[in-house]
Amino acid sequence: MTILKRIGQPAALALGLAGAAGGAAAQDKEPIKFGLLQDFTAVYTFVTGEYNQGQQDYLTLVNEEGGVDGHMIEAIVRDTGNEPQRGIEAYNRAREEGAILFDFLSTPVSRGLVDQVMKDEVVLITPLHGRGDAAAGETFPYVFPTMATYWSQAAILADQIKSSDGLEGKKIAVVHIDSPFGREPMPVLEKIAEVEGFEIRAFPYASPGNEQSATWSEVRRYRPDVVFIWGAGGGQSVSVQQAIRNGIDPAAIRSVVWMAETDANNVGADAMVGLKRFEATATGTDNPILERIVEKVIEPGLGAGDSSNVGSSYYNIGVATMTVAVEAARLALEREGAPLTGPKLKAGFEMIEGFDAEGLMPPITITATDHQGGGYGRVSEWTGSEWKPVSDWTTAYEDIVHEEIETSAATYAGGN
Amino acid sequence: MAYFIELLVNGALVGLMYALAALGFVLIYKSAGVPNLAQGALVMMAAFLVWYLGSLGLPIWIAILAGAALMFGFGLLVERLLLRRMVGQPVIMVVMLTLGMEILLRGLIPGVFGASPKSIDLGIGLAPVIVADVFMNRAYLIGGLVALLLIGASMLFFRTRLGTKLRAVSDDHVASWAVGLSVERAIGLSWGIAGIAAVGAGVLWGSVQGVDWTLSTLLFPAIAVVILGGIDSIKGVLVGGLAVGILGSVIPGYLDAYAGGSTRDVVTSVIILLTILVRPHGIFGREDIERI
Amino acid sequence: MFYRLSGVRHTSYPAARQLWPIAADRWQVGVLALLALLAPLLISDLYLGSYALPWLIWTAAALSLSLLMGLGGQLHFGFAAVMAIGAYSSIHLARGGVPFEFALLGGGLTAAVIGTAFGAAALRVKGLYLVMATLAMQYLVDWVISNVPAISGGAQATLRTPEVSFLWIPIDSLDARYYVALLWTVLMTLFFLNVKRTSFGRALAAIRDKDFAAAVIGVDPFRTKLTAFMTASFAGGVSGAILAFCYYGAVTPEQFGFNVSIQLVAMVLVGGLGSVVGGYLGAGFVLLVPIVLTNLIAGLGAAGWFSISQNLTAHLPLIFYGGMIIGFLLFEPLGLAKIYDNIRKYFLVWPFRHSGS
Repeated sequence: MTILKRIGQPAALALGLAGAAGGAAAQDKEPIKFGLLQDFTAVYTFVTGEYNQGQQDYLTLVNEEGGVDGHMIEAIVRDTGNEPQRGIEAYNRAREEGAILFDFLSTPVSRGLVDQVMKDEVVLITPLHGRGDAAAGETFPYVFPTMATYWSQAAILADQIKSSDGLEGKKIAVVHIDSPFGREPMPVLEKIAEVEGFEIRAFPYASPGNEQSATWSEVRRYRPDVVFIWGAGGGQSVSVQQAIRNGIDPAAIRSVVWMAETDANNVGADAMVGLKRFEATATGTDNPILERIVEKVIEPGLGAGDSSNVGSSYYNIGVATMTVAVEAARLALEREGAPLTGPKLKAGFEMIEGFDAEGLMPPITITATDHQGGGYGRVSEWTGSEWKPVSDWTTAYEDIVHEEIETSAATYAGGN
Repeated sequence: MAYFIELLVNGALVGLMYALAALGFVLIYKSAGVPNLAQGALVMMAAFLVWYLGSLGLPIWIAILAGAALMFGFGLLVERLLLRRMVGQPVIMVVMLTLGMEILLRGLIPGVFGASPKSIDLGIGLAPVIVADVFMNRAYLIGGLVALLLIGASMLFFRTRLGTKLRAVSDDHVASWAVGLSVERAIGLSWGIAGIAAVGAGVLWGSVQGVDWTLSTLLFPAIAVVILGGIDSIKGVLVGGLAVGILGSVIPGYLDAYAGGSTRDVVTSVIILLTILVRPHGIFGREDIERI
Repeated sequence: MFYRLSGVRHTSYPAARQLWPIAADRWQVGVLALLALLAPLLISDLYLGSYALPWLIWTAAALSLSLLMGLGGQLHFGFAAVMAIGAYSSIHLARGGVPFEFALLGGGLTAAVIGTAFGAAALRVKGLYLVMATLAMQYLVDWVISNVPAISGGAQATLRTPEVSFLWIPIDSLDARYYVALLWTVLMTLFFLNVKRTSFGRALAAIRDKDFAAAVIGVDPFRTKLTAFMTASFAGGVSGAILAFCYYGAVTPEQFGFNVSIQLVAMVLVGGLGSVVGGYLGAGFVLLVPIVLTNLIAGLGAAGWFSISQNLTAHLPLIFYGGMIIGFLLFEPLGLAKIYDNIRKYFLVWPFRHSGS
């Protein structure tokens, strides 16, 4: 009897809980589930904390404001450690729990799951990671980069140089981490170089990039007018330090999107003044959405992390990704009605038109053929305390970028 | 020519900084015969500790000294609580234990202090040191000097009375017991000193690349240094560090332009393979004589 | 159940040399085999595809490595590179039109050839230096894969497996993939169980215990070590190919990185060197414990059992996982297989206390 009782108690408790949960769900509308299955402990730690915090805080804000048409949004957050097998498990589990949108923020996990996602007809967003060619909507119907791919970023950075100092006759060094990600901008930049008539040369450094001195000795001898740095995490601040030590003016450095306040602190906030980076979203809390997050989420103590991160570069990127996802869910519910499914949400994404998250990001328009949303972005400059935009939201060399996307997507469609 | 000298000098300085990360590894191997795969994690932990103490408002040099004291204590603790209980077990299991410790620290330290990158400012400045058209990296210059200092200090240490005891213990545990030396205390001490060496490596590398878990990956260049120099020789650490640093800087400096990729890791790997094929016990390592 | 050794009497040498001389063990193996066969009917796709399937494949890989490390005493810290060679070459073969069965063999053979070439270093060195030599192999193979787009699959560095069929059965459904993996793991298990009883297996054990001594009694260390490297690399290569075709579906260089090599070594060591049960338990532990811990901790957190930051929640599984490895080693340095063995021996003679076998 005692044994039965012991087993019986938790069972009864579980039943009670399930009953309570069921009752609560019956009152509200069915929740929408997003799987934020990211890498909190390995390669992507430099960004994941702030990025995921931004995502969760925005979803909390949406729920505080009454959800999407009464539907609450539930985030399933798990660590995958950047390991594909853990990503696969987390994905399958979250899908079983009913998640219809996924964000892995890990290139190996995203690339490994692209086929599965399309087979299961659920949405995978790959902002600033994953396959660049996923912008081709017909080939990748369920994958949405939603933000500028690395190809678009390279094009926009080049365009900013063209409009400020001109590109012709310039010598550009691309100092990149020696990995597929680091080599990604090269084809696009080479084509732009042909069109605009400037010289370009790649300088790879060994992963993980904590030591790059030999590479930069070579870069200095090349006497570049402009230096692109294409890396992530600790390697980025090492790049900037090495550039400055080799007499390269920070103002001549252009960085991929992975350059944030923490890197500036590493280099020394004053030493990095003038450095320009690509940005996909505005930084700071000077924005209606961020103000509402501060007021309704952070101040009542509902935030998902350290409140000093609010408004940082990666935090805002996280917020922006979720504004797009929530907007897509809203549109899908409006046109297609509840309950929301993967195909409906996909249709919702493709209905997004001129959406700019109240000024947080460039107006994006996602169509069935363009899942990148136009590939907009801008260039901003480090002033010593903050990032100041030096160009408008723009897109550049669309034909070249588009061609790159098409060729790459065609290889995928052809079996790889 | 200036290019060559520049690659040479910066490579040598970087090599010295790798040697610093390798120093703790050698100290522990020398006394206890345990390859400590958690040495990289100790470096990371030391950097996080110094960062944390600094963020409490302590001046950086006090933070470093306090960090060194804490890491010394932590080294002693690890030996007392974990390693001592594994005495007499197969070495590979002890290696696995240090790997478990590496995983534990990789979770614990960023988990407690926060995983996002932190910075340690040593006030070194970014301006290059220019000698006759050769640009030297100021941070590496100071790092290299500190490394030389610490390695030199360890060499001298092994000439003191205490150090002689440590050498005796490293030569033969049983014989040391027989003449009344405390083997346990000696091994504990070497773990403590390895903790201090980790502070040196952690602070210098942390100031260059920022403080986050990736500091623990310094283990691999450190191991290359150790293999090349000889796993139980402090002189070997110095020479091995210089060799790995210089070869890993000069050869890629000329080769990368043709290879279309960074060849540094390839160079390091080939150095390791060649060393193993030509001199399996490293440049200064002791050749084991086996009994059948 | 009750004194399971009763009635076990060996009247001939073959009977004593049986793999499972005790009836209770045979029953246990039979029940497990049946469960494995019926698994697609018994458990949901989530557990079949995300737990059972990778567990089986990693077990095969761990057994391959255990052949080298456990039986032969040759440490190998670059085994993920061996698997990568198998995976990449089999995919390229299959894409070139070679039937899947032969692509698997081809992947295994390529891995065996390259693995043996690097293993040649083993003829000169042992212990920690061998670790370094194999580590260097890992870095060289990684470099080649990620720097030669023709191997890694173009600018996106992703190589998708083509659709294939195994013995005329198309490998597209989860069940089919599961059975292919099961078949390979069972083959590996049987091979491993039997290799210990061959002259090669005994030669390996002699080399492991003391190679000079083995040479004195007439075991050729050169040939034995080389054969061990070749066999293990072949098995590792096929396991890598199965992993690519049956589990990942698309391979990227990160799937076979250095950390995977370390995980494989951890599987062998935590499980127990040179033990089949250890291969299964070790692979299960290293592969599944972080996943289970992540879900458990997230579940407890969501149920409001504790309130800590997202950052610490994400790192807790690592802390517990590392702590468990340390704890197991302090508790039983010979691995999970030894713990299993202790339990088994206890129950073999239960309700009595001591047993001889």
